[in-house]
Amino acid sequence: MSHEAEAGLPPGILAHHFSSLARQNEAMRLGMWLFLATEILLFAGLFTGYSVYRFQFPEAFAECSRHLELTLGTVNTVVLITSSLTVALAIHFARTDSPRAAAFCLVLTLLLALGFLGIKAVEYSEHFRERSLPGKYYAFEAVKTPGAAMFFTLYFIMTGIHGLHVIAGMLVLSWILRRTLQGRYSSRYYTGLELGGLYWHLVDLVWIFLYPLLYLI
Amino acid sequence: MRLSEADSHALSGAPAAPNYLHDGTTVMSWLNTRDHKRVGIMFLVSVVFFFFVGGLFALLIRFKLLQPGPFFVDALSYNRMFTLHGIVMIFLFLIPAIPSAFGNFVLPLMIGARDVAFPRLNLASFYLYLGGALIAIWGIIHGGADTGWTFYAPYSTTTPTQVAPILIGVFVIGFSSILTGINFIVTVHTLRAPGLNWMRLPLFVWSTYATSIIQVLATPVLSITVALVTIERIGGFGIFDPARGGDPVLFQHMFWFYSHPAVYIMVLPPMGVISECVCAFSRKNPFGYKAIAFSSLGIAFVGFFTWGHHLFVAGQSVFVGGAFGLLSMFVGIFTAIKVFNWVGTMYRGAISFKTPFAYICGFLYFLVFGGMTGVALATTSLDIHWHDTYFVVAHFHFIMVGASVMAFLAALHYWFPKMFGKTYHEGWGLVAASLIILGFNATFIPQFLLGNFGMPRRYYQYPEHFQALNVASTAGATLLGFGFVLIVIYLGISLKWGSRAESNPWGSKGFEWLTASPPPTHNFDEIPTITQMPHDYRTHEPSGVIRVA
Amino acid sequence: MSESGQPSRALHADESHGEHSHSAVPYLVVWIALLFFTGLTYLTGKQHLGTWALPIALIIACTKSALVALIFMHLRESSGSTRLVFVTALIFLVLLMFFTVADVATRFRPSTPAGAPFGTERSQPEGLLEHELPEE
Repeated sequence: MSHEAEAGLPPGILAHHFSSLARQNEAMRLGMWLFLATEILLFAGLFTGYSVYRFQFPEAFAECSRHLELTLGTVNTVVLITSSLTVALAIHFARTDSPRAAAFCLVLTLLLALGFLGIKAVEYSEHFRERSLPGKYYAFEAVKTPGAAMFFTLYFIMTGIHGLHVIAGMLVLSWILRRTLQGRYSSRYYTGLELGGLYWHLVDLVWIFLYPLLYLI
Repeated sequence: MRLSEADSHALSGAPAAPNYLHDGTTVMSWLNTRDHKRVGIMFLVSVVFFFFVGGLFALLIRFKLLQPGPFFVDALSYNRMFTLHGIVMIFLFLIPAIPSAFGNFVLPLMIGARDVAFPRLNLASFYLYLGGALIAIWGIIHGGADTGWTFYAPYSTTTPTQVAPILIGVFVIGFSSILTGINFIVTVHTLRAPGLNWMRLPLFVWSTYATSIIQVLATPVLSITVALVTIERIGGFGIFDPARGGDPVLFQHMFWFYSHPAVYIMVLPPMGVISECVCAFSRKNPFGYKAIAFSSLGIAFVGFFTWGHHLFVAGQSVFVGGAFGLLSMFVGIFTAIKVFNWVGTMYRGAISFKTPFAYICGFLYFLVFGGMTGVALATTSLDIHWHDTYFVVAHFHFIMVGASVMAFLAALHYWFPKMFGKTYHEGWGLVAASLIILGFNATFIPQFLLGNFGMPRRYYQYPEHFQALNVASTAGATLLGFGFVLIVIYLGISLKWGSRAESNPWGSKGFEWLTASPPPTHNFDEIPTITQMPHDYRTHEPSGVIRVA
Repeated sequence: MSESGQPSRALHADESHGEHSHSAVPYLVVWIALLFFTGLTYLTGKQHLGTWALPIALIIACTKSALVALIFMHLRESSGSTRLVFVTALIFLVLLMFFTVADVATRFRPSTPAGAPFGTERSQPEGLLEHELPEE
């Protein structure tokens, strides 16, 4: 399309059915926010289950929460918050025409994400060792209050599904990193990078609520 | 009526002008298409196929119910049959039918766009739908499920049937629904033609837009719910298991938070079709354009506040139950506004009693009576008598078949010339419509009576004194089935041997009729500038400033 | 809602974020604030403040989320449609949680299945019963 050539953009960015790049960017952003809304509603189901069972078993939940590794959980929160910063900086550098700085920030984000998963793996292995496991596998000696197994069921499911989203986010960011290294993003067009960042921020948002609700009851 | 060049060309018997059907005729050109019209056709073929699969299960159920005692199949198989009937009809037919088949085809045309916002995502939606359907079919072939389509825990988490693959299939189909919803919302926001502001959108676009909002907000909750049941089945985690502190009613809350708005996914697009057809076949402007447009949004939002009416007798708090009952009645007001407006549109209109109009009549009658029984069911005290009886079954079939399927058939006949460039035989259309409307009444009115007399739903055996009504219902179902088969026959014949349609055989002012029938791949030679009101029959000029292919 | 008929703007950088300064400083400020609030929630959480613990934790979490959404996710500069999408999702999350917890909180105790582990005192609101229930 001729107006794409006018913009001096790399080919293949502006689709034929959009009248302008601005309109396409608006569409991509709106589409991504709608997808994020679906993710929010997905976790809403889990938070609802959590609310119901915390209401039913307040003592068990409080006791179990005290047996979580609060330090590791707090460190993980800091890790994710910092990874949100690095991805925001990656977008900033892309739109100010510093693609190498952007790529560097994306690499940092991926490393932080890996760190998050590593710490969670350490926590999970501790739970396996002390048998604080979901449902019928629960055999934790330290807490025998009714409802304790339900806390760990929710803990594993919620952090597990969150962890799946962290992995998905890492895949998305890796793909974005590849595109950044290919020089696709600049002050003229960085929407793809922005959308990847939005997804990553959502992963952070969910953890911002998981942390106090699981570790600080 | 002065013939356009395209019409003379069509009626002269010359080969059709290049259109989306001819643009690439290999299988791969269809399987790899970015064209929303082809995606729509692929969805249409698929949903019609699954409609007959679900219909076959229905006939098997009705056949068994000819006899009050053990007959034809055993109880476990009977449980599987009604479960699969529900799953196939709801997830594989009703949810995608009008939005993904007709919405895909017609929505971009109606707003003067060349495609939906994300064409590749649209194709992905189709493959997710097909993939999820195949996974569910795999589960069905290997024994199916016997939980009912509602999968209530703890039975669904413990029954040794193929619940897991079916739920995984439903999960995948859910993504198809979500992506279609996202695509349509973004399309309406960003791809409207110049001059087409929100208050000039066709009413079908309003209802599809409202449906898409529901799809985006509600489906994820279904996804997590079926995921939790699957996790519990495979892992034994006990989220809904009372022995481990779980609450089965939590499942019902989460399930119905999606499944009640889902019925609005199933009924809003049909309402949009009816809005289009009422205006076209009364040759009259909508009685209250804004009322119909905003009531679509009203249904979409208020529909989310009513799910607890499925839990009236489940052990839910009576206070919350009372609130849900009141809200459920409130949502009926929006439908009433629409019915009032449709009837007001037809009043003193120049009625053209074609097949789509016959389906409109059926739709209005079934929607009003089905809807009224819905408001009755929303009365908590009455629901105690009717819950889980055939009264409920009749109520939702009045809406889902009587309203939604009638509108689907209206859409099929209304847009058939647009989609395929062929006409169908109007006489056979009216015959089939009559069979369907009569057959439907014969099938489901006895079920209201059965339910009120106390016959429970999903029961394999029933007391002998209910047999006469059951036999009547089965007879009606057979007639209904004949009607549907007849449609496939004459439409199939028309596809191959029907006469060529002109670009606007109905004389409709809908914006999709501004382009040729069938449309070219790129929809419009030039994107039209649309400044007139939709459904405007006050003028006699063809609408729009456009050059047709 | 976007107007239709915009002229092609392919030549310029994206319009909807405007031509404001492209500074990284807001991000760093927000990061510091997020760390501060994390520390705050950690400290208040360890106090075990009883009934106030949950509201305080949620308020802090909501504040952190608002910062991430508005600044990191650029909601502050986004179109009305995207903001509406985000807010609507939150409203429906609250809707699902509210009615479900309200159900559990106001249930009539005898309707809870006999012997269920969650048929505890907690599931019966104060003062709702006029008389003692028989032992289960």
